[in-house]
Amino acid sequence: MFSLVEGAIPAFKTFGLKFIFNNQWNPTSGKENYGALPFIAGTIITSLAALIISLPLSFSASLFLGEYYRGTRLAQIIGMMVDLLAGIPSIVYGLWGFYVLRPLLIDLGLPNQGFGIFTASIILAIMIIPYATSLSNEIISMVPNELKEAAYSLGATRFEVIFNVIVPSARSGIIAGYILSFGRALGETMAVTMLIGNTNIVPKSFFSTGNTMASVIANQFGEAEGLKLSSLIAIGLLLFVITGIINAVGKFIIKKME
Amino acid sequence: MKNLVIIFLAVFVLASCQSSSSKKGNEKSAGKSKITLTAAGATFPMPYYNMVFKEYAEESGVQLTYGGIGSGGGIRSLTDKVVDFGATDAYLDDAKLAEMPAQVVHIPTVLGAVVIAYNLSGVDNLKLSNELLEKIFMGEITKWNDPLLKSNNPGLNFPNSEITVVHRSDGSGTTNIFSDYMSKISPKWAEKVGTGKSLQWPVGMGAKGNPGVAGTIKQTESSIGYIGSEYAFAQKIQTASVQNSSGNYILPSIASVSAAAKGDIPDDTRIMLTNSSDPDAYPISGFTWIILYKEQNYNGRSKEQALETVKFLDWLESEKAQGEAEKVHYAPLPAAAVKKAKAILRSVTYEGVPLLK
Amino acid sequence: MNAAQNKISHDNLNLRTAKDRWVKYIVIFLSAITISPIILIIFKLVAKGYRQISFDFIINTPPNTFEAMTAQNNGELIPGGIANGITGTLLMVVMASVLAIPVGVISGVYLYENQGKRLANITRNVSDILQGVPSIVLGLISYLWIVKNITNGFSALAGSVSLSIMMLPMIIRSTEETLKMIPQTIKEAALALGVPYYKVILRVLLPTGVSGLLTGILLGLSRILGETAPLMLTALGSSIINFNITKPTSAVPLLIWEFYNDPNMIDLIWSSSLLLMAMVLFLNIISKQIAAST
Repeated sequence: MFSLVEGAIPAFKTFGLKFIFNNQWNPTSGKENYGALPFIAGTIITSLAALIISLPLSFSASLFLGEYYRGTRLAQIIGMMVDLLAGIPSIVYGLWGFYVLRPLLIDLGLPNQGFGIFTASIILAIMIIPYATSLSNEIISMVPNELKEAAYSLGATRFEVIFNVIVPSARSGIIAGYILSFGRALGETMAVTMLIGNTNIVPKSFFSTGNTMASVIANQFGEAEGLKLSSLIAIGLLLFVITGIINAVGKFIIKKME
Repeated sequence: MKNLVIIFLAVFVLASCQSSSSKKGNEKSAGKSKITLTAAGATFPMPYYNMVFKEYAEESGVQLTYGGIGSGGGIRSLTDKVVDFGATDAYLDDAKLAEMPAQVVHIPTVLGAVVIAYNLSGVDNLKLSNELLEKIFMGEITKWNDPLLKSNNPGLNFPNSEITVVHRSDGSGTTNIFSDYMSKISPKWAEKVGTGKSLQWPVGMGAKGNPGVAGTIKQTESSIGYIGSEYAFAQKIQTASVQNSSGNYILPSIASVSAAAKGDIPDDTRIMLTNSSDPDAYPISGFTWIILYKEQNYNGRSKEQALETVKFLDWLESEKAQGEAEKVHYAPLPAAAVKKAKAILRSVTYEGVPLLK
Repeated sequence: MNAAQNKISHDNLNLRTAKDRWVKYIVIFLSAITISPIILIIFKLVAKGYRQISFDFIINTPPNTFEAMTAQNNGELIPGGIANGITGTLLMVVMASVLAIPVGVISGVYLYENQGKRLANITRNVSDILQGVPSIVLGLISYLWIVKNITNGFSALAGSVSLSIMMLPMIIRSTEETLKMIPQTIKEAALALGVPYYKVILRVLLPTGVSGLLTGILLGLSRILGETAPLMLTALGSSIINFNITKPTSAVPLLIWEFYNDPNMIDLIWSSSLLLMAMVLFLNIISKQIAAST
């Protein structure tokens, strides 16, 4: 952790705190000017979008597996398929997105040859589904039967039991699952870098191309040195910080809900 | 069920034991030294390196590992002294040489070309003049049926579509060679964009690695970009011919790339070959180098390790190794370059004493 | 109850039942969408990769680019295989597990036992943040610690360390959350019987929660099986099978990356991915069996 801070200091010294808001990224020697804004924007937009897209899907799936069809053969098979999603290497997601998803989106009329924030968000959403689903599934199926039976005996419908009994008692675990998912989305590199178009600007619309912090680090790290290296490390540090902030905000919201 | 698992594991272990002493002949050396050489660096020459490294390993019993983490990664690994040698498409300039912990020498290993690849159905034999290159890659010409393109290529039918420019998103020696050429032929480019492994591109989108750009061009109609030669050939992507300094339109080929290296080469072999003055030369060509420390006794390196390193590099300069280059669409080094490289290798020392005669 | 009240409660019931049924349909529908990508992806992998899979594929090491090119030009299957990747992956995953599982589970238990304490909260936050760090940064940290200082060169050990850091947050979190779901009554009953505390944890809580624990471990393993970026900076890769942990080693995702980057070997990526998926599937099955038998 310290080595990160150490490495990032030259960047901050040269650019000051404005580094965070600077939207330029110019690596030409003699005119070097680095700013983190395009990447911060890209990271936050894609990760949030991915979380929002995946939320209903993984929640439904975890209900399906942990409650409606719990213990059945069908649930076992489907559960395994969801777990398999977690095992697919991110390059393969990137390749699949490149060769399969992108042409599909082009047919649907997407601009920029199918690259961009939208495409990247979809792939991210698919990638993070298993994390939230698996964990939520486990947690939901662990809700003690007595609680559920008590509610049923009072005449509650299935739906009511779910939303008034299961979810509240499993809430902590479910949210933990989503925090894990979100974290994964923030840090995902390979799949995003293949689909996002890699333009170092703040995206103007949801369908334009852009770049994320993880992606630019992966791309440029290989041969960066001096000020550029320091800027990249600074971006890594910022990613740490942003992850921390988002986590804290999430926990705060949960506390408020209780 | 448990039994099944045990059986499976047993089969697997047996199988992997068998393949260690495998038929591929990796270990067929007669009890030779178990020396491993580790190297890392540029991806531009990787197809060539993969092939010849493996050949040498089979012949000599020395195990070779190469990691294509980029020219900068190669330089950094050598700086950190975690590899036996590094590989880079952009040579270290004097300032960078001074920053290295000890004196570093360069030896060129092969010649490669950066080709202008494009995807436009029905349009073959595209000729791109210097002016066209400048305007397309700077975003001043945005459509394929632009009058300038048409006048330079009479007889070709251009559609009314947008040009999608594809460049590298990661730092790369390929970009370095391309931008070096562009700076030489276009003062506007030199001023606005410049030369380097990563640039602030005025237009276009980025893809990672040569395969990223190649794949993107292949899959995207109306696109254009620059990639290492082998990638264009292997994926059968359309290549444009470029105008060299004598005004001739040249397509990249073994002959035209070799012609680019016909001029004088400095003793330390650090030179960019773009825009060569030779009339038959393909103007976007370049060397790729291997870098190592002049004094090999560092970090507790054994003499044997150092000796094997230079022996391998010497083999790399031999006719046999160089002859393999053509198979994968790289050009062998001209005799003059080989001579300089061998001389440099003979100056590499262990505790002050040269390792090779 | 008079007729009006009857009607109201009856309507209410109808409404609730209808809602109930609708929710069920929506859940099923969305779940179907959720699993469609996996079906599509596997389909694509199988379609493009099945021809390459054979016993040879598992036993041999990759060809060089020229052999691949000639094979392709002749319309044959590319020779060779990914044996070095398979052994490398197994080696590093096992090492990473040895490093991460004990630390992760113990940390999870610690967090569970110390809800609300300052140190616990900080640990939990750090763990969550670690989850969001791009894998390449973890690889870099491992490079600085191990490649530069301990093994003086790229090595399998460095690779395992970076992988184990990646597994940690998932194991820690799922352990803690699973333990939290165990009804207090079980814990109290054991304590009331006079069982010493550490035994309560070892013999009662952990076994009850093993299914959840395994989920976390499995998720962690699945993730690292497919990771490339950190390994590029730590294990580097190798063209031969290698079991020496202080030397560079290959791994299946590294090979997939190398194939992708080689103009002639791109076709190998599908079959390699298929094999990787098979490994993940295998892991899944084993862990479900273990969970079922406890």
